[in-house]
Amino acid sequence: MPAGRKYPKGTVVLAVGTKRGLFLLTSRDRRAWKPDGPYLAGRRIFHAVLDTRDGARLFAADNGDFYGSFVRYSDDFGRTWKDPVRTIAFPEGGGLALKNIWIVEPGRAAEPKTVFAGTDPAALFASRDGGRTWELNDGLQRHHTRARWQPGAGGLCLNSIVVHPTNPRRMWVAISAVGVMRTDDGGQTWTFCNKGTRADFLPEKYPEFGQCVHRLIPHPVNPDILYQQNHCGVYVTTNAGNSWTEIRGNLPSDFGFPMALDRHHPETIYTVVEDDTRSNVGDQFTVYRSTDAGRRWQRLTRGLPKGPTVRLGVLRHGMCTDALDPCGVYAGTNTGQLFASRNRGDSWKMIADYLPPIYSVTATVL
Amino acid sequence: MGVTIRLPGPLRERAGRRAAVHVEAATVRQALDALEHRFPGMRFALCEETGRLRPYVNVFLETENIRDLQGLETPVPDGATLHVLHSVAGGAGAGA
Repeated sequence: MPAGRKYPKGTVVLAVGTKRGLFLLTSRDRRAWKPDGPYLAGRRIFHAVLDTRDGARLFAADNGDFYGSFVRYSDDFGRTWKDPVRTIAFPEGGGLALKNIWIVEPGRAAEPKTVFAGTDPAALFASRDGGRTWELNDGLQRHHTRARWQPGAGGLCLNSIVVHPTNPRRMWVAISAVGVMRTDDGGQTWTFCNKGTRADFLPEKYPEFGQCVHRLIPHPVNPDILYQQNHCGVYVTTNAGNSWTEIRGNLPSDFGFPMALDRHHPETIYTVVEDDTRSNVGDQFTVYRSTDAGRRWQRLTRGLPKGPTVRLGVLRHGMCTDALDPCGVYAGTNTGQLFASRNRGDSWKMIADYLPPIYSVTATVL
Repeated sequence: MGVTIRLPGPLRERAGRRAAVHVEAATVRQALDALEHRFPGMRFALCEETGRLRPYVNVFLETENIRDLQGLETPVPDGATLHVLHSVAGGAGAGA
C-alpha cells in the first residue's frame, strides 16, 4: 500500500463531521464498519470531504469554538493536518467577520487543485492550489442586493456549491434565506435562480430572492438538472435554474434539510422531511425516496427506529450516497446516530451511535 | 524588558510550541501586532477581520480584562504580562 494510504482500494470511507470532531467510518463490504477518530477532536466540523481527484486529500471545515474557522487538510486520512498559508477571511476593516465555514466542495475533475468553500456571512471562496491559499469571490460580494440579504435562524450561510462539469464559467451556489444564484462568467457576476420557489414566510410568496434553500445538488449526467430541498418544499429545475417545479408530491411535510441522489439511477432521489418540532413526522424516523424524480415518494423505514421517544433530525449535509451500484445511502442525525443502507435505502442499519450531533456525512469510494 | 504574552494551549503550536512570547510594545494592539509579525496568522486566531477581539477571546493585563480598560488601546507598562485566555463558554453552541 502506498505511503500515506491507510485503506485499500475499494474501501468506502465516510467522513462524519460533528459538533465535537471528525470521525471516519470505513468498510470493504458496507456490512462491517470500522470507526477511526475523532480527528480534530473537540472542534465543530461543519463539513468534511475526501477529495480523490489527485491522491486522497481530506478537507475539513473546522469551526473551532474560540480561535477562528479554517479549512484544514490532511493527506494521511486525518492523522496530521495542515493549515492554509492564506486562510479564508474577509478583507480587514471591511465590516464583515467570518462566523463559520459551511461547506468545502472540490471543483471540476479537470481542475484537480481547485476547491471551493461557502461561508457565513454568505460568501464564496476558491482555492487553486489544493487548499493552501484562498481567495474571496468579489463578484458575489458586490451583488447589488447584497446589503438586503437577511439571515435565517441558522445564519446567512452559503451552504451548497455546484460546479458545471465542463463549462468553467458556470456554477451555482445556494444561500439560506437568499436563494439559488448562478454565474455564467466565471464568478464575475451572479443572477438569482429562484423563479417558481416559494417563500411562505415573506409577504410576497414568489420573490426575486429571500427563499430559504437548504441544499442544492446536481444531476450526475445532465448539468441543466438540479434539485433543491427548500424551507418551503422540494424542487427540480431542468433548465439550469431558470425556473423550478415543485416536486413535494406525497411527502408529509414541506420542510426538510438534506437531499441526495443515486448517481447510477439519477431519477432516484432521497430526502428527510420534518414536522414543526424539527424532527420525524410521527413516531417513525423515515427516509423518503422517489424513483421517478419526485413524482411520488416512498417511505423507507425498515431498520429505522420507531417509538414515542424517537425524535430525530438530519441536517442539510447529513445525508449522502456513495458511488456504488446499488448505491449506499447514509443519514446522520443531529443526536449522533449514523444509519446506513447498502441497498438503495430498502433496509437500514445503525452503524454508529452516541456520536456528537452530526453536521455532515460524505461518502467516497477509494 | 518588554512585555510577556502568555498563550493558551490551543495557540502554542502557532508560536512554535511556546507558552510565552516576549515582545516590545506600548499598547495591547502593538503587542498583538508584534505577535503577528513573529508568527503570521496569529492575529486571525485572536481577532476578527473587523479588528475586534473574537467574542470568546479575552486578554488580561495582569489580572484585569482589557475589555474593562481601554480595549486594544490599553497601555502596557514595561515588564507587564498579558494573558490570552478563552472564555468559559459552557455547553451550548451554534448548530449547523
